Order: sequence, then structure tokens, then C-alpha cells
Amino acid sequence: MSTQDSRSILFTHTRPQEGFRLLELTPELEELLTSKDAPVLELKSPSTALAQAVIDPTAHDYVNLCTPTQTYRIRQVQSSNSLHILRPSRGEISQADIKVVEEAGESGALNLPDEAVTAISKCSSTLELHIPPGGFLAIPFLEKSLRLYDRRSDDDGDIAMGGSADPTAPLGSNEMRTARENMCQDIPVSTAQCEQGWMELCAFVDGAEEVACWRPSPRSRLAVWKRLVEGAVLQGIDLEKQFLVGDLWKSVLDDDEEMEPPFPRALLEAVVRRICIADERPPLSDDIKWASFDKVECTQWVGETYLAATAPTTSSAIGRSELLRAWKDCLPETWRGEVALSKLPVTRPFPPMSCGAIADFDYRTAATTVLTLRPSALLNPRNGSQPIKLPLRQPQPRRLRIPETGTNCSKAAVDCRTKTNALAA
Amino acid sequence: MPSIKLQPHCSSPAKATTTASTPNNPLPTLLQTPSGLALLELQGTINIPSGNEEDDLDYSTSTDNPASTFETPIGKLMFPDYSVHNPDDTKWMKRAYMYVGRYQRMTGEVKKLPRPIAVLRKRQASEGEELEVVEIVRYKIFFKSRPEPVTNV
Repeated sequence: MSTQDSRSILFTHTRPQEGFRLLELTPELEELLTSKDAPVLELKSPSTALAQAVIDPTAHDYVNLCTPTQTYRIRQVQSSNSLHILRPSRGEISQADIKVVEEAGESGALNLPDEAVTAISKCSSTLELHIPPGGFLAIPFLEKSLRLYDRRSDDDGDIAMGGSADPTAPLGSNEMRTARENMCQDIPVSTAQCEQGWMELCAFVDGAEEVACWRPSPRSRLAVWKRLVEGAVLQGIDLEKQFLVGDLWKSVLDDDEEMEPPFPRALLEAVVRRICIADERPPLSDDIKWASFDKVECTQWVGETYLAATAPTTSSAIGRSELLRAWKDCLPETWRGEVALSKLPVTRPFPPMSCGAIADFDYRTAATTVLTLRPSALLNPRNGSQPIKLPLRQPQPRRLRIPETGTNCSKAAVDCRTKTNALAA
Repeated sequence: MPSIKLQPHCSSPAKATTTASTPNNPLPTLLQTPSGLALLELQGTINIPSGNEEDDLDYSTSTDNPASTFETPIGKLMFPDYSVHNPDDTKWMKRAYMYVGRYQRMTGEVKKLPRPIAVLRKRQASEGEELEVVEIVRYKIFFKSRPEPVTNV
């Protein structure tokens, strides 16, 4: 018989089993992981407080897998099939036990190959990755994590922000980066998405009293903008051509050197970074030294910010002509012609947008179940090898037994279940 | 809950599942991976009776010590149409046998996974908790039928 001629491999089961997890890779992840300098990935879940503040309607507990730029939701998919991890055997098999598999030939020698593979782990579930239709946004988390900076420049410092400390000794960029990175640790999206959200919110780090991360209110952002336009006009800075951000900062300061600055320099830089031409925007880790604005994009941002500052909800809506007039008044003289209601994206909640419900489409077949994944479960290898409880199916499992022999093994058996509704392959 | 790092590579290849005394990998070349790990899917499960000692074993430490592991023979794997002389021909993948004991045989096949699977494990001897990718597997041996009796082995 042909099968007797072909090579057979002894198959064994190793005890104790090891703990593994199986993660199904997307093509992009496969490419990333097999690349020469594959980055370290992160499994992130929000802090308890953040998870309560930013509720994901699809999951109570979740873990996201983050590459430097991309975020995936991890879903644990349980199957009634079992996946065994094999490796070549180290040959720690008792010869007595082998009789289970092969009887001695006529010569008395075992008719078996000396090569073997052994099952070292059983996984009853795999981890799958998906991206919900709305993607992942850092902004809802950032909004909850960042302190709100809402001090109008005409206030006389009743809010203890940027107050008594020496404004000439700002934080170094390293300290700012550390503060930002610490905060992003708890935000369950990739670093790039976190930084994008940070930039969109004009978030900044200030160390006047204690090092803290802030997000300016729309009103504060608008105040920075108005002050910046005023300063630029006074100092003759053309915002559409490249200018030194340092010059712009000087222009917003009062002539009187005794006066404290109207707002922290980091806030000005955050606003400039947000509205500068995207191609010229340096990475967040670098200081922004040069910038120039595009009047179309800038006008749109000003309009959005104005609306968010003055009419954030329907109950505080603003008349169209009033909006147009006020909007124009916020802009440099030569940009006023850019103002038009059509420039405002009407379908989107005004910035910064809050993440709404993210729909989750589940297409699992009946033979699999999706479990709530607890972050700690990932680190507990024993979870991976626990037996699965299957609902009883008809016909009952047929159990096949191997006769008992040997010292280590008393018996081994294989269950096989017939399934009418087998997993769609 | 702060983040957990997932390292793209195995920390200590020497201490990993492939050891210095790595035996020859008897599987067809297509199923061989650098670490030696391969996947076998079974409709059903292998029942190895749990001895009393299982509960006492500490999984994380005992695997380092080969002396404390032992193997229970289950049966044999066979790829009847595979030939080492013609590894590029993939027709052999259509047929695989798994003998359970001496008298039962399952028929299955070797399948390319629709998406590759990364085998992850808790990184040993690391500060804090970290996971690592031990291997990326692209094929599996798949048995979806139940065993049939055989008498002529």
C-alpha cells in the first residue's frame, strides 16, 4: 500500500503545554512584522477612568493593537476546532509508549521513524483584528485627558494659568515631549493618531505651575488667532509667506516688557502648527520655527473655531449674516473675500468633533463566538489552553480510545465531533 | 491599564522553542518555519488525561527544563503524496493522514491560511509584561473529518 512507503512522522503530545496566543495578521501588519526593522507594537487599553468617560458602545473591555501609525481592535474569536502548535520533537518519548502507535515488526524492531513532531500548545481561540467603519479617533480621549485652557487674553489672570512663574523659562522640548507621551500612554490609539488629534486640538504643554497638558477652548483659540493677526499686521508679517514663529511671538507681546504674555508661547505654537500649510508642518517632536498659512484653509479654520466658540449648540445658534460679519472681522483685511458659508463643513459637528457611536458589524458564523476580551487575559497563557465548553450537539461526540500502556501516559483519546454546520472554510 | 509592548522578534532564539539541540524538522518544507513551529487544526480535541501533577506545574518555569517535560505518543502524521525530490509541486497538500493509535485514521489536507497567523507568547525574563512574536505561520495541517477505522497499518 502506498501509504506504507511514504514517510510517516511520529506525532506526540508534550506536557506541560506552553502558553501561546495566535494573532491573525492583516497584510499590512505582516509586511510590518517581517520588515527588516520591524517596530515594537503596543497593546493598549484605556485607563479605567478614560474607559468610563469615553464609552465605546461596542465593547466594555477592549484592547487595541497599535502600530506606530495604525490602530486595530483585537477580537478574540473562539472556535470549536482546536489549533495545536507543533514543533519538532526532542525525542523524549518512552519506547514503551510508542507501542501505542506501532507494533514491533517481525524482526522485533519498531517500524517507526525516529523523527517526530509534538504538540506543545493548544489554542481554542485566535485573536483577530478589525477596524470599525469609523476608524479610531484620539480626540474623544484627548478631550477627557487634557485640561481645558479657557482664559481670555483680556482676563487679568484670575485663572492661575501662566501666572506667577517666570515666563522666560519655558519648558524644554524634551520635557514637553515626555509630558505628551505620558499622557498618550493611556490613549488606546497609535502614536501617529494620537499626535494628529493633539495637533488638531492645538493641545500644548505648559509648565508654569506644574507640568500639565492643556487643550484650549474654542474661545481661547479664537483669542490667540485674533491676537496673532493683530500682531502680524502691526509688525508687517505676511502670514501667507514664510515667517519666523519667533517673530510672530514677539509681535503678540505687549510693548511693555513688564506685562506678562497674553498666553503661553506653547499655545501660540500649537495654533500655528494647526493652521500652517500641512506640507510644511514639522513633526510634533520638532519645534515649529518657520510657518506660512494658506488663506483658504485658514479662513475655514477660523470660521469653524468662531462657530465652536460662539454657537457650540443649537440652543446658542447664531444668525447667518451675523456669523459672516464676525467671521470677516476675525480675518486680515485681504482675506475677507474668502468668507462664505459654503466653506463650513455643515455635516460635521463642529470641531473638535466628538466620536459618536462606532458601528460594529459582526459576521461570525454560528460555530464561533466573539468574547469580551479583557486586557489581562492576553498575558495569561493558561487562558489559551483552557478547555472550551461546547454546546452539546447531535450526534454525540464519538470517542476513540487508545489502549492504555506506558508509564507517563495512561491514555490518550481523540474526540471528534461531526458537525453539520461546520465553520465556513 | 497602560500599554503592553509586543516585540516583533523573539528575545532569545537560543532559549526559544528551537534549542541548540534542535532536531531535524520532519515536516514537508512548506510547513517548516525558522522556529520549527507549525499549526495543526483538528475538528475536535486531543484529550490527554490530566494527571494530578498538572495542577502543581508552573507553566512559566517548567518549560525551560526539558527534564520536566514528557511526550505522550498519539499517532503518526503522513503526507502520502509528498516527495522531497519535488518540493515545488503542491498537489501533495491535498492529502494528509493522521493516525490515532494504530487503528484509526483521519484524512485531512494542508491549507494555506487566508491570513498569516503570528504566534505570540509572553516574553520570558523581561521586566514587566511583554509579548513577543515567536513565529509567523502561513500554512496549517487541517483535519476536518472524523477518524475511520483502519486495519492494515
